[in-house]
Amino acid sequence: MLDGMLLGLETALSLQNILFAALGCFIGTIIGMLPGLGPMSIVAIMIPVSLQIGDPATTLILLAGVYYGAIFGGSTSSILINAPGEAAVVATSFDGYPLAQKGQAGKALTIAAISSFSGGTIGVVLLMFFAPALSSFAILFWSAEYFALMLLGLSAVSAFAGKGKVLKAVMMTLLGLMLATVGESSLFQAPRFTLGIMDLQSGINFVTLAMGLFAVPEAFFLAIDKIRGKKSSSKKSQEISNLRINRKEAKAILPVIGRQSIQGFLIGVMPGTGATIASFLGYAVERNLASPKEREEFGKGSIKGLSAPETANNAASTGSFVPLLTLGIPGSGTTAVLLGAFIALNLQPGPQLLHERPEVFWSVIMSMYFGNIILLVLNLPLVPYIARLLAIPRGYLIPFVLFFAMAGAYIGQNNSTELLLLLGFGVLAIILRFADYPLPPLLIGFVLGQMFEDNLGRAMRNANGIQFIWERPMTLMLIISAAMFILFPLLRDWLTSKHK
Amino acid sequence: MLDLNRAVALVLLAFSSGYLYLAYSYHLLPFERFLSVKPNTMPMGLAIGGIICSLFILIQPQVPDVEGDGTVNRPDGEYLQNPQNFNWGQGIGLLVLAAVYAVSLHALGFLFSTSAFLVLGGILLGERRYTFLIPIAITASVLVWYLVDEVLTIFLRPWPSWIF
Repeated sequence: MLDGMLLGLETALSLQNILFAALGCFIGTIIGMLPGLGPMSIVAIMIPVSLQIGDPATTLILLAGVYYGAIFGGSTSSILINAPGEAAVVATSFDGYPLAQKGQAGKALTIAAISSFSGGTIGVVLLMFFAPALSSFAILFWSAEYFALMLLGLSAVSAFAGKGKVLKAVMMTLLGLMLATVGESSLFQAPRFTLGIMDLQSGINFVTLAMGLFAVPEAFFLAIDKIRGKKSSSKKSQEISNLRINRKEAKAILPVIGRQSIQGFLIGVMPGTGATIASFLGYAVERNLASPKEREEFGKGSIKGLSAPETANNAASTGSFVPLLTLGIPGSGTTAVLLGAFIALNLQPGPQLLHERPEVFWSVIMSMYFGNIILLVLNLPLVPYIARLLAIPRGYLIPFVLFFAMAGAYIGQNNSTELLLLLGFGVLAIILRFADYPLPPLLIGFVLGQMFEDNLGRAMRNANGIQFIWERPMTLMLIISAAMFILFPLLRDWLTSKHK
Repeated sequence: MLDLNRAVALVLLAFSSGYLYLAYSYHLLPFERFLSVKPNTMPMGLAIGGIICSLFILIQPQVPDVEGDGTVNRPDGEYLQNPQNFNWGQGIGLLVLAAVYAVSLHALGFLFSTSAFLVLGGILLGERRYTFLIPIAITASVLVWYLVDEVLTIFLRPWPSWIF
């Protein structure tokens, strides 16, 4: 293994490969900021260009750089304008955007960059040492376990429910799950609940819903706001672009990074789950572990609430390479696209790759490590400039926020109905915000809805009923954990009100 | 009293009931009738869950934004409930402009409609420095179009549909 690592190190450290890794990170970061162009689309778009390079190791190093850069770029738009263009960075906006609103955009972007770096780097170390062992663990997961894991992800909604709002959070999750059933499903033959509208045949687009729920209300509230609207344009750019983290803050996020790197990586290893569920679960776990005082801060600009999903989604992204490299099974949408790149390069990922092409196997792993360092070195100096976007006068900022949100839904579809749907969701979200209904659970329900139904359906078909719940110990354990996730906050609320 | 919170719960109750009706009356294909999980199994469960949840929200007592001992349950509650804080005309105008932009994108093409949206949006929000606003709007439209259509090769109609 040491020989292979040294071989990979030598390949990854060549000047050409370092330059391509840096180029990939840069392209990924810039394009990733556009809502609607997530890592999967960007990697897919970059494949034809990267294949021109010819050398398989360099091609894969460039694509891995693009992948990491795109994840970081997505976090930037989530934090600065509350426009999460990708499911994996939705949880980043829960505390990242409030921090930016408080005039601490620079700090928020720095925490995101450091957390991403740490999650990715620890993930690579785990990948190097435990990949073969973990791949055999991952294939033990069947539909029943996936269903239970989705349920655990859905139970994270309790993290968004303030006092007396657990029911509202559950209602929003159910609404998200209902919206996820619109259109075609991989489990059934005919599209459902389309009301005869052709544009709904393929279901509701994630970007349309996410932009409608988050970016449109943000632009609306900035526009109608007489007090805060003025404040946003008058914030001192020095304050916004300050990226210093003090010792106390560093001490607070350190254990979060440690925990979420491991948890996110393990979730990422399981094919089909990926960074989205890792980020939601990471957020929920850290909220539940926080002290009552710190818990109050979650959703209002908690640095732990920002660090947790950022660390987890990067560690999970690295984890998703385990089944790809060791078994040839893509663990996420992006790794499925990367599998296409491997095949186009005449490489077959799987158990043989390590023996037949060790230089490719190890250089991809080593380049991930260097990709993370390059991303940090490249992005930290840019943070003050990126953060200053918030100091742009509102007459420019608000129409641009709305434009980027709408462009995200329009690009690639060229369909105006999608935009009207986006605005419809936007109006719904504005009303729900006035009525104090939490919106993140709606998006969590929607994102996990289809996977939830597919896995439940398969598990029930395999077992011809619901007995798989108690027949499979791992499923039972995950379902009990999900129940505890929901019941503990309820119990805590009840005990608090009883003491008062 | 029917406040906004309960009015929304009532709408959600109506939505869940309508969804339950659609799920119940879903036309199953002949072979689907014998499946352990039918296309309407989970939707019916979700709808029933939605009805129960919205009914509970309707009847449960409201949690005050600020409690007697000073505990704040909803930090922006007081702010959001005061209409004096808002400039409704600009917000609603922006949403109407966005709807017009959505409809005009196909007919007028990306470049013209985007430039017009950014310029009119800026004017609506009080920007009067036209010498900055117009060039910035046009440059941004062209840059985004170039990046998406030419660099990333994702088709984005630049001109009105009746030209190309």
